[in-house]
Amino acid sequence: MGLSKIRQIEAHDDSELSFPPEGDAKPYEVFIQLNRGQPHVHSGTVDAVDGKMALSYAKKHFGRDQECVHMWVVPREAMISTNYDGEIIWPLTDQGYRLVRGYAIDVRRKWERFRDQEELDRYQDDDIKEMF
Amino acid sequence: MDMITDDLKTPFSQLLLSIADDKLIQGHRASDWTGVAPILEEDIAFSAIAQEEIAHAAELYRLVADLTGGNADALAFGRAAEEYRCASIVELVDEFDWATAIARHFFCDHLDGLRFGRLANSCFTPVAGLAARIQAEESVHIEHVDTWVQHLGHGGDDARGRMQQALDALAPHASMMFEATQGGELVESAGLFPKADADMFDQWLTGLKKITGQAGLTLNVTRPAPDAVGGRRGQRSGDFAELLDEMSEVYRQEPEAAW
Amino acid sequence: MSAGVTTAVELKMDWEIQEDPQRTADFQARIDAKGLIEVDDWMPHNYRVGMLRMCEHHANSEIVGALPEGEWITRAPSLLRKLALIAKVQDEVGHGQMLYHVCQDLGKPRDQMLRDLCTGKTKYHNVFNYPAPTWADVAMIQWLVDGAAILNQKSLAEGSYGPYVRTMKRINMEEAFHFKSGEDMVLTLMSGTPRQKKMAQEAFDRWWAPCLMFFGPPDSDSTKTGPFMTWRIKTKTNDTLRQTYVDRFAPAAKALGLIIHVAHKDKDGMVAIKPDGNPDMVVDEQIQFDEESGHWGFTQPDWDEFFRVIKGNGPCNKQRVALRRFSHEQGHWVRQAVMGSAGLPPSAN
Ligand SMILES: [Fe+2]
Ligand SMILES: [Fe+2]
Repeated sequence: MGLSKIRQIEAHDDSELSFPPEGDAKPYEVFIQLNRGQPHVHSGTVDAVDGKMALSYAKKHFGRDQECVHMWVVPREAMISTNYDGEIIWPLTDQGYRLVRGYAIDVRRKWERFRDQEELDRYQDDDIKEMF
Repeated sequence: MDMITDDLKTPFSQLLLSIADDKLIQGHRASDWTGVAPILEEDIAFSAIAQEEIAHAAELYRLVADLTGGNADALAFGRAAEEYRCASIVELVDEFDWATAIARHFFCDHLDGLRFGRLANSCFTPVAGLAARIQAEESVHIEHVDTWVQHLGHGGDDARGRMQQALDALAPHASMMFEATQGGELVESAGLFPKADADMFDQWLTGLKKITGQAGLTLNVTRPAPDAVGGRRGQRSGDFAELLDEMSEVYRQEPEAAW
Repeated sequence: MSAGVTTAVELKMDWEIQEDPQRTADFQARIDAKGLIEVDDWMPHNYRVGMLRMCEHHANSEIVGALPEGEWITRAPSLLRKLALIAKVQDEVGHGQMLYHVCQDLGKPRDQMLRDLCTGKTKYHNVFNYPAPTWADVAMIQWLVDGAAILNQKSLAEGSYGPYVRTMKRINMEEAFHFKSGEDMVLTLMSGTPRQKKMAQEAFDRWWAPCLMFFGPPDSDSTKTGPFMTWRIKTKTNDTLRQTYVDRFAPAAKALGLIIHVAHKDKDGMVAIKPDGNPDMVVDEQIQFDEESGHWGFTQPDWDEFFRVIKGNGPCNKQRVALRRFSHEQGHWVRQAVMGSAGLPPSAN
């Protein structure tokens, strides 16, 4: 059978390898952008010895399963992160005063004194949606 | 222009076949590393390159089929050994030696960069458009293989020794990629494969030497004799018969069937 | 993304261990609320080890799973199939790479995992210990085995460990291509010449039983799934998945004109031949739709064979591990060179 030579290997034993553990190369985090203008999204990790190699591997691994226009690789050691446990990012006190939802109901009620329902619904439909 | 005269069809398809066959067999050899390459990330990258080589070959076969009849699969799998036009460098088994695989790609990808640059200026528009696209992908292959030559050259005595040995072993085969195809002059003078300003062999060698120099390696490649006969004229190296048997094993079971 | 890699983990299950009751309760509450656990969250020791083991086994399976089909890359019968098969096997290696990374972040270096795999210390999925002697086996693997993998991985994508769940979703997108291309190949063969149909039927006879075994032993036999279900490391039982699989593939096979047999295998994983020269198999009469239950019946595969293969005595166990080992050994000098050449002189970069 015309099986390629390197795949015809048969001999095998479970003995230890003749060389010591090699260790892993450095992890680089890969971020891809699917379209111009969109944010970069974390896509995976490649191990490499330098940024150039990491980028080259990232392109061929994470740039091929989806069409993608731009890519970042970042050495993991350069990333500094928070902790899920006990570290506060979003303050615990009410943030209503700096959010739309803190005003929405009041504003609607106050408008009702000036405009009828129908007019008001139309007005709210025209509201700048992406800001909410 | 998107038509060519009958007298040019055969010589031009000989040239296109020589390139397509190089690519098919280079990709075929490369794809044998899929799943067993030295590093997982490299496994993926090398498989990507193998796919691109074979995909390029497929597009070139379609062009040849348009010129001289037949179809791409029949050209790829259905010819007799002496009808292939590849150079011996792609035929040789690499014995699962990474340095040999890298050396093969080093020589081949650098030449592809140059010959697709010339084809991109072809007066035959279907080829010119395709060639420009292929050349862009080849530049990524070149970058990839150059990095490997550097890594191995700088990767300690053992690695440098292996890389040097592989370069030395493949050098004579590499130069035979420059063997003229049948009717090659005709194709050049008609502007189908227009001559570049500088001689392609010199350009190729300069590009290679820049990298080997940086990597602490040496390169000894000499221009083939004008009357040298090799793969471009159908002379096959020892490893090809086995390769073709393997590659066409299933295809030949039912050449007329769809698979 | 966290850099919180634990390296000093003792990677053994310990059912005697006393975990902090409050943390354990919070942890379970998050899981019960369908929340996800992330790499630097606190987790019980056995959860970490269980997750790591399952993920390592899965990664090993992807890497070894690349081998049986990899054998056919150099023999694929058309340019399209050749390209698709390289891409498919490449995907499997990519899956392995991603899954190994989930494990690396849980505390085991990839190098160690690859060493353990090629010295027989860790295992991979049983299904890859069967041979792929013809091109039709490639078609059947992509249709039947990738089909089984999708089902299984879909359920794993509902698990509780964030990095694994995200990887599963991503992998399933690619598995869908494998499955479609497999379907296309099977359809092509079954619409082809008598010889092609025969090839397909013979390959089907080899792969049907291993695919039933794919989901693991019957629930009554499989021990210790308990905590893995409560932790949502596993989300569906073996028998549930197997039944879903049969419900989908038995009618599809019938429609294509494939016959489902109960076959005896020889030690090479081929359907055994009787003294009279005929294959040792009978039509599976249980393959019938049961109106009442709404499910398809089927004959259970040979579970003795399953346990034999899992212990390392299957048709291809030795060969698969040997090739993986050979690859790792041959690559040693290359990895050494690359690691040693880090930070090339600026001219070289
Ligand atoms: Fe996979
Ligand atoms: Fe798959």
